[in-house]
Amino acid sequence: MNERLTEQKSIYLQISEMIETDILRKILLEEEQVPSTNELAKLYTINPATAAKGVGLLVDDGILYKRRGIGMFVSKGAREKILEKRRAAFAENHITPLLAEARSLGISKEELLNMIGESSI
Amino acid sequence: MRRNVAFWTRFTWETAGVCAAITGVLAAISILKADRLDFSLLASVVPYFLCFSAVFSIMMVNTGAQTLYVPLLLAMGETRRNVLLGFQYYRTLIIAVTIGVCALVWLLVPGELSRTGLQSIPTLLFGLLITSAAGSLLGTLTVKWKWAGTVLVVLMSGVAGGFIGLASVGDLNLAADTMQMVSYLTVLPWWLVMAALALFAADILFQWLLLRRREVKL
Amino acid sequence: MSLICENIVKTYGGKEVLRQVSLELQPGKIYGLIGRNGAGKTTLLSILTAQNPATGGTVSLDGQPVWENRASLKQLCFSRELSTNAESGLASMKAKEYLRIAAIYYEGWDKDLEKRLIQLFDLDVKKKMGKLSKGMLSMVTIIVAMCAKTPYTFLDEPVAGLDVVAREQFYQLLLEEYTATGRTFVISTHIIEEAADVLEDVIILHEGKILVTGNTQAFVDSACHVSGRAEEVDAAVAGLETHYPETVGRSKGVTVFLKPGQSIDGSRDVSIQPVNLQRAFVALCGEEARHEA
Repeated sequence: MNERLTEQKSIYLQISEMIETDILRKILLEEEQVPSTNELAKLYTINPATAAKGVGLLVDDGILYKRRGIGMFVSKGAREKILEKRRAAFAENHITPLLAEARSLGISKEELLNMIGESSI
Repeated sequence: MRRNVAFWTRFTWETAGVCAAITGVLAAISILKADRLDFSLLASVVPYFLCFSAVFSIMMVNTGAQTLYVPLLLAMGETRRNVLLGFQYYRTLIIAVTIGVCALVWLLVPGELSRTGLQSIPTLLFGLLITSAAGSLLGTLTVKWKWAGTVLVVLMSGVAGGFIGLASVGDLNLAADTMQMVSYLTVLPWWLVMAALALFAADILFQWLLLRRREVKL
Repeated sequence: MSLICENIVKTYGGKEVLRQVSLELQPGKIYGLIGRNGAGKTTLLSILTAQNPATGGTVSLDGQPVWENRASLKQLCFSRELSTNAESGLASMKAKEYLRIAAIYYEGWDKDLEKRLIQLFDLDVKKKMGKLSKGMLSMVTIIVAMCAKTPYTFLDEPVAGLDVVAREQFYQLLLEEYTATGRTFVISTHIIEEAADVLEDVIILHEGKILVTGNTQAFVDSACHVSGRAEEVDAAVAGLETHYPETVGRSKGVTVFLKPGQSIDGSRDVSIQPVNLQRAFVALCGEEARHEA
């Protein structure tokens, strides 16, 4: 929730990712209320509509749900859903660029695996 | 120093411009009032107009110099000492030019009035010195205390009123009255000298005291 | 040759505006002076250029005093922010006249550059200063600073009131002038992020004291933002200089300033993000304001 926004990515994407990360880190728990779009807007000094758009993405994904008249809540099973989503995207987001960089540096697959084997997770 | 002289000389000509304009207006008024034009009479009266215009413009300009030009020059990297010296140079120049022009006119134009005029030069000189000192003193005081500005406005109105009076006295039809009026100026009273000296000393002292701690604000 | 001020103190009616400010400005650099309103920026610039007397302390250029010393003063130009309120006599002065007086006083005045800039900014110099907008007054101060060609040039809020295009023009002009002459510029500004890449060194003035002085990039790099679960964040930054903590529920974010050799405990599950100059400045100088809010 307290991460800084950058200019590299659309703000609403960053908002939704930040909430996801907070759910992963158990900063936000399932069935717990998340800050309102107005609170988010004030926190990041962004337009409330932008904050709402970020939250909307998560509602579409079923990670958040709306309780009429109260606000947004974290869905049951949201954390599992995010883990699944991020795992699915892991290869594309992290392995593909890793391999591309290794290729351009002339690092063989064997060397790469060795490096991974040596480092702790 | 060269730059300092350049600035204040230019400033002197600007003051002289204001002064000449006022003299022109006064001369025009008296011409309009005259039944017939006597050029030599007019010519010998004009220096008086010039002196009174100088009183008005020096008073006004000196105040402006203290409130605006002094901080402006400090902002442009001039030393406080040079600002003080430059200002003294300017006031000497403007008085010298005024008196010089008066003397020249009276020397060139024959007549009783011109002779009286030449005799009045010491009095006029000290009068201008007083004006110059009072003007910048009020300017300096205005910087420190706003009320001095009000005093100045009252004083200026007084001088302006004096003008109108002068322009009517300077009636070219009544040369004798004019003569009598200006004949008072031929004697330089001792108190005028003392007042000029005292005001001048006070002025320069205040100027320097203020300059040393002056904060630039534009 | 450098401009040095030592232990500058300035008080106004018992209130200390500058408190023991010492600073060295080296030749050939562009400095940024940043600080909140009332931090003492204008006062400091005024004292560095002898436009205002200091209550205590000394300013010297190349070992020579600046106060009442024309030899030093003519190497300095502090193009002040111009205000034309009712009390200012400047309001009735034409911009042209102001520039003409500057041209008399600055020995190296560049007449051609003056013409070029008037054209570039499309400035109507025949107008009285009182009739000029805030942005146009800024243009006048920029023209004076650029054309003065002094080795040390100070600008107070030069981009105040300028639109984005004019601001870009100013930064380009500044860099053009800087690369051509190597003059030293000290620029105070509130529009920090925009100027950040132009400023080689940054001086942060806060409540009359200098908090930071040094290379801008090094300062920005020494700062980062750490966020995550509050316990994790606290553990990751333990023993480090932190500012501006923000918490929302279990979440916490904090700005960390690392000294050489220090690092953040990377084994903690926290996000570590770089910050920009503006964020670092707000973290350093904005804490009290937020508490009051």
